[in-house]
Amino acid sequence: MENIIKKEKKCHFCVNNINEIDYKDTETLRRFINSYMKILPRKRTGTCSWHQRKLATAIKRARIMVLLPFIRR
Amino acid sequence: MSKTNESRIPHYELLYIVSNKFTEEELKPIIEKVNAVINNRGGKITLTEEWGKKRLAYPVKNFSHAYYVLVEFDFEGDKVESIDRDLRMMSEILRHQIVSKRVKTEEDIKKEKEISQKIAARKEKEAKEKKEEKKEKEEKKKEKVDIGELDEKLDKILETDDLL
Repeated sequence: MENIIKKEKKCHFCVNNINEIDYKDTETLRRFINSYMKILPRKRTGTCSWHQRKLATAIKRARIMVLLPFIRR
Repeated sequence: MSKTNESRIPHYELLYIVSNKFTEEELKPIIEKVNAVINNRGGKITLTEEWGKKRLAYPVKNFSHAYYVLVEFDFEGDKVESIDRDLRMMSEILRHQIVSKRVKTEEDIKKEKEISQKIAARKEKEAKEKKEEKKEKEEKKKEKVDIGELDEKLDKILETDDLL
């Protein structure tokens, strides 16, 4: 198993120095949900835990404001 | 956070959706109505932004399109819920959300600038290192080619030697 090369993932928000995630910016939020409109885990995206928490609230806010869907139609 | 930030008037952000059954002309009095609500409660509006008609991600009360309006305001005291309650009473508004927004202080802006500069510097460094690596690789390749050529030449010489 050691032979599997792990691609190093970095937090998108840490790299770009974003401290507050805007729930109105759906284009970036869309990168962190899958085709079933579920929030992707940190394992998949490489987001740090501090930003993952903020990201989750941002996505949920966007869903309430009908900017993102809750489920796939 | 710094102490100056605490003494500041809290800043809020309101986003609301007006249903599609109104025309754009009918939308204006509704926006004015909402702004009046905020002003009556003692808020100071700093920004209003109309996003126009947008397609909704899922139908709300059988509407698939709606107008989005964004309002930013300062509000002193802790009774933002009063605005929330007023907006909930308005039948024209499908949905609304009030979110507290942190205003960037001068210190924050300074820090951000510093960090962004550091990031830029690091990126440049990485790019340079990559270039150097590439160059080294190319040089190595050349050396390899050189060795290959030498071998060939040696072989040729040896062959000629054999012939003699």
